[in-house]
Amino acid sequence: MTTRETILNRLRSELRRPDLPFPLGNTPPLTSDERMTVTAASGTLWELAERFGAELTALHGTYEIVGTPTEARLALINRLLTWREEERAAYRGPKPQTGQEDQVLGWADEALPVPGIADALADLGIEVIAPAALYSSEERDAVRFIRYGVTGVQAAFAGTGSMLMVAGPKTSRAASLLPLRHIALIPFSRLYPAIEDWLAAERNAGTLTSVLRANANVTLITGPSKSADIEMNLTLGVHGPKFVHAILFEDDVER
Amino acid sequence: MTAKKTFPNPPRRVALFVTCMVDMLYPEVGMATVELLEKQGIEVVFPEAQTCCGQPAFNAGFRDEARVLARRFVDIFEPLVISGQVDAVVAPSGSCVTMVTHFYDVLFESESAVEYRYRAANLAAATFELTEFLVDVLGVTDVKSRFDGKLTYHASCHLLRELGVDRQPRALLENVAGAELVPLDGADECCGFGGLFAIKNGPISTAMGERKAANIIKSGADVATLCDVSCMTHINGLLSRQQQRCRVVHIAQVLNNQVDVADSPGTSRADVAAPEPSRRWQDAREEK
Amino acid sequence: MSVDIHAPYKERVDTALHDKHLRIALDRATSRMKTQRADAMAAIDGERLRTQVRKMKSYVLRNLPDLLETLESNLTANGAHVHWAADGEEADRIILDIARQANVQKAVKAKSMTSEEIHLNGVLQQAGIKVVETDLGEYIIQLADEPPSHIIAPVIHKRIEDISQVFQRELDMPPTMDPSAMTGAARQILRREFLSADLGISGCNFAIAETGTICIVTNEGNGRMVSSMPRVYIAVMGIEKLVPTVEDAFLQYQALCRSATGQQCSVYLSMTSGPRRADHPDGPEEFHVVLMDNGRLNMLARGYGEALMCVRCGACLNACPVYREIGGHAYGSTYSGPIGAVISPLLNTDVTDADKLPHASSLCGACRDACPVKIDLPRLLLNERADQVAEGDTAWFDRQAIRAFADTMKSPGRYAAAASFARTGSNLLAGMSGGNITFMPPPFSAWTQSRDFPPFAKKSFRRQWRERQERRKRIGNEGQRSKIED
Ligand code: SF4
Repeated sequence: MTTRETILNRLRSELRRPDLPFPLGNTPPLTSDERMTVTAASGTLWELAERFGAELTALHGTYEIVGTPTEARLALINRLLTWREEERAAYRGPKPQTGQEDQVLGWADEALPVPGIADALADLGIEVIAPAALYSSEERDAVRFIRYGVTGVQAAFAGTGSMLMVAGPKTSRAASLLPLRHIALIPFSRLYPAIEDWLAAERNAGTLTSVLRANANVTLITGPSKSADIEMNLTLGVHGPKFVHAILFEDDVER
Repeated sequence: MTAKKTFPNPPRRVALFVTCMVDMLYPEVGMATVELLEKQGIEVVFPEAQTCCGQPAFNAGFRDEARVLARRFVDIFEPLVISGQVDAVVAPSGSCVTMVTHFYDVLFESESAVEYRYRAANLAAATFELTEFLVDVLGVTDVKSRFDGKLTYHASCHLLRELGVDRQPRALLENVAGAELVPLDGADECCGFGGLFAIKNGPISTAMGERKAANIIKSGADVATLCDVSCMTHINGLLSRQQQRCRVVHIAQVLNNQVDVADSPGTSRADVAAPEPSRRWQDAREEK
Repeated sequence: MSVDIHAPYKERVDTALHDKHLRIALDRATSRMKTQRADAMAAIDGERLRTQVRKMKSYVLRNLPDLLETLESNLTANGAHVHWAADGEEADRIILDIARQANVQKAVKAKSMTSEEIHLNGVLQQAGIKVVETDLGEYIIQLADEPPSHIIAPVIHKRIEDISQVFQRELDMPPTMDPSAMTGAARQILRREFLSADLGISGCNFAIAETGTICIVTNEGNGRMVSSMPRVYIAVMGIEKLVPTVEDAFLQYQALCRSATGQQCSVYLSMTSGPRRADHPDGPEEFHVVLMDNGRLNMLARGYGEALMCVRCGACLNACPVYREIGGHAYGSTYSGPIGAVISPLLNTDVTDADKLPHASSLCGACRDACPVKIDLPRLLLNERADQVAEGDTAWFDRQAIRAFADTMKSPGRYAAAASFARTGSNLLAGMSGGNITFMPPPFSAWTQSRDFPPFAKKSFRRQWRERQERRKRIGNEGQRSKIED
C-alpha cells in the first residue's frame, strides 16, 4: 500500500469509530448565510475610498482620491517625481549607478486601469518595464534595482485597506513585490466594502474558484511589508515594498 | 453542562459543601460562609460525611481515584437535592464547584452505568459558588458589611473561566461600606497554584505567584480578596515569606466583617484572641 | 546562557527561569501581543468569529479524507505535484529527492513550523544544499544557530541588544540599536538569496480543498518571495491544515491574523494554486505539495482530534502564564506553550521529557479563552495526564500519594484521623518556625522552598460546627437561625 492509501484508509477507519471522542458525528459545514463579514464597511464609493485610505494610513501607507482616470495619471506622475526628488535629496555622497534609476517596474500598459501611463512617463524620461519573463538571472538583474512599481488591482477592500493581485501574463508578481516603492491604481469599480463582498460577488457569478485556479497565484496585500521580530519594534520594508501608495479614482466602468 | 437550576420560590435551606481545605486549614472561612447565608435567612445544613470532591486526584490524572470520591460526593449531596431537603448546595470555592459542575461529567463519561452521570448532572444544576448563590440566586449584592481600608480582587481561574463568575464577587465588594476597591493589574492571571502543579513545577509556580504577589503589593490594597482558599494559600505563602504587610483573605470573611486592617487580619473576630503586635499576621490564625 | 532544548526538562526550566534577559523579553512581547489580540477581537464580534471557525474546523476534521482527496485532485489538475509522507523522515526524503532532481544548490525558506518539526534544514544541508531562512526572526536565529521559540515570533526570546550582537558577529555589521538598520541589512542580503535560489520552501497556513490552493500568511513578504522567485517551490503541510472553500479560507485567515498579531489582515496572503502558467512573467516552474502525517493520525486516534483544529496562531502562548515565565525553548519541542504541551507528546518527534509537558500547566484556562478555535486545551492536558496514569506512566510517588489521598478521603474516619495527624505534624513544623510552616520534607519542600504554608486549624470546621450545634441545642434556640453567639 502506498503512504497515501495508508493515511486515507486509516483516517477513514478512525473516523468511523463510534467511540471517537472528537470530532463529533454531526458536524455540518459552515453555510454562506451564517458566515460573518469579519471587517465590515459601508457607505458610498467615496466613503469607501476614504475608509480604504484611512485603513492604509493606519498601516503606514499613503493614499489619494481623485475624480477621473486622467487625474489619476497625473497623481501617479506627481507621486513618482516627488519620490524621486525625495530620494535624491536624502542621498549624500556619490551615488552608485545602477542604470535603473529612471525605470519603473510595472504591469503591461494595457493591464493598468488608467490608459497612457507608459507614454506619459516616457515623456518625462521614465521607462516602464513590464517584463515578459523573469526566469533567468540576466532577466532578473535587468530589473533588480528598479525602485518603483506600478500596478492596478483585481479588487480592493475598504474595511481592511487590502488589495487583491492576480498573477497573469501582463500582471507580474514582481511589480508589487520587488521595488521599494509601490503605487497601486484603484478604480472605484474595483472597490468593495469588504473581502466577503467580493467573495459573494464572485461566487454568485460562478467565477470564484476559477480566479484562483486559472492564475497560479493570487495575493492579498494589506499595507507595506513589515516586521516586528526585533523586540516588537515595527520596521517597514523587510522584503516587499516599504512605501505603498494607493491612488483611488472614480471611473465609469460597470461592475 | 446542564442549565443551572432556577428557583420559582426563594430558596430556604442549603447544604454547605465546605471543601476539605477550608475544613482543615481555614474553618473561619467556613463559619463566615454559614453566617453570611444565615443572615440572608437561609438555613444551612452540613452533611458531616463529606470530605473531598476529588479534584486533586482528577487534576493529576488519577481518574479512578477521583471517580470513587466523586461517587461518594454524589451519594452524599444528590439525595438531599432530589428529595427537596435542601434547595441547593453552596461552597466557598470556585474550583471545587467547578469540579462538581464541569468535571464530574468528564469522570462519569466512561462510566458504563449512566446513573452517576445523570445524578451528577442533577447535582451540578443545584451547586453554586457562594458569591454566585448570593448574587444570582438570592439577588443580594449588599450584605451590610464594613471594611475600612483598600480592597482589591483576584479572579481565580476556575471561578472566572469555567464558572464565568466575576461580576458577582465584584458587586458584593463594591457595596462593602468604608472600603475602597482598587484595581489589580493582571487580576485575571493565574496565581500559579494549580494543585499538584505547585509541587511538580515548584519554580514556575513560584515565579507566577511572585508576579501575582507583586501586583497585589503594587495595587496598594490592604487586603486582596478572592473566592478560593487554594489561591489564597499560595499567594499568602509568598507574601508571608516575603514578610509583606498586605495579605489575601477569602471574600466570605470580608463580607462577614471578620477582617479589619488594624485588627488581626485573616482571623475570626469571634473566637480569636488579639495577636501580639510583633507577630506577622498569618501567625495569629486560629488561636483560641 | 540560552536554553538547550535537548537538556532534561527540569534543567531547561531552571535555565529559563534564571535568564533575566529572557524573562524581560518574554514579558514585553507576550503582554503586547496579548493586548493586541484582545483589542482586535473586541473590535468585532469575536465570539461569533471563534464559534464559526470552530464549526468550520470541526467539519474539516470530520470530512478530512474526502477533503484531502479533493485538494489532491485539484492541485494535480492545477499542475502541481502532490506527495504523501507518513512521517518526517519520509517528508525529508521526498523533499531531498525533489531538490536533487532539480539540481538545487540553494533553498530559501519562509517560516514553517512543519519543516522545523521534521528538521528539514539539517537534512538538506547535509546533502550539500544551502538553506537560508528568510523570515527576519528565523534569519536571526539561524545566524545565532538556535531553534525558534514561538510559533509566530521565533526570536521573541532575544532582546534587541542580543540581536545586535548577532548581526555584528555574523555579518560584520557595525554596532547599532536601530532595528531598521538591521532590517535594511537583512533585506539586502536576503534579496540576493531570493533572486539566486533555485528552491523555495514554505509551510502552509491553510490549503483550500475546492480550488487546490496553498495559502501562506506573512508580513514581511518572504512568503511571496519563496513562492514566486525560485524555479521550484515546495510547500510542506500537516494533513489537518485544510479548509473546504475559499470563503472558509478567508474566515480562518482573518481569525488567524487577529489572534496572532491583532492585525485585521496580515500584509500578505499568498495563495498558490499551481506552477506559473506558460505565459506568466514570474512564478515557479515546478510546484510540489507534501502532505504529512507524522503523528497527526495518532492524535486523532487517541482522542486528541480537537488539537488538530489548531491554526497555529500562537495566541495560547501569549496568554499562557507558564509560557510567559519560561519561554518556548523550555518546552524542548518545536511547538511550545499550551498547544505544544498538548501535541508534542503525541507527534512523531523526539522531545526530551515530553511526558512532563502535560504537567507544565496550572490549567488556568487563559489559553482556551484566547484560542480562535476555542480548543479546550486544559481539558486535553487533563486527558493526557489521565492517559499517563492509565498507561502506568507516572512517578511511583505520585501514584502512592494520590492513592493514599483518595483512601483517606473515602472514609470519614480516616479523614478525621489524617486531619488530626496533619494538625499535629503541622503544629510541630509550625512551632519550629514560629507560626507558619516554612519547612516541609520532600516532596513538599518544593512548596516550602519559596512559600510558607499555614498550619492546620486547631479545630476543624466540622468540629466547630458540631460544637455550635450542641451549644444551640443547649440553649434551646434552634429556631433562631440567624442569631450568632458570641
Ligand atoms: S491552540 Fe488555538 S490559540 Fe493555540 S496556536 Fe492553536 S489555534 Fe492558536
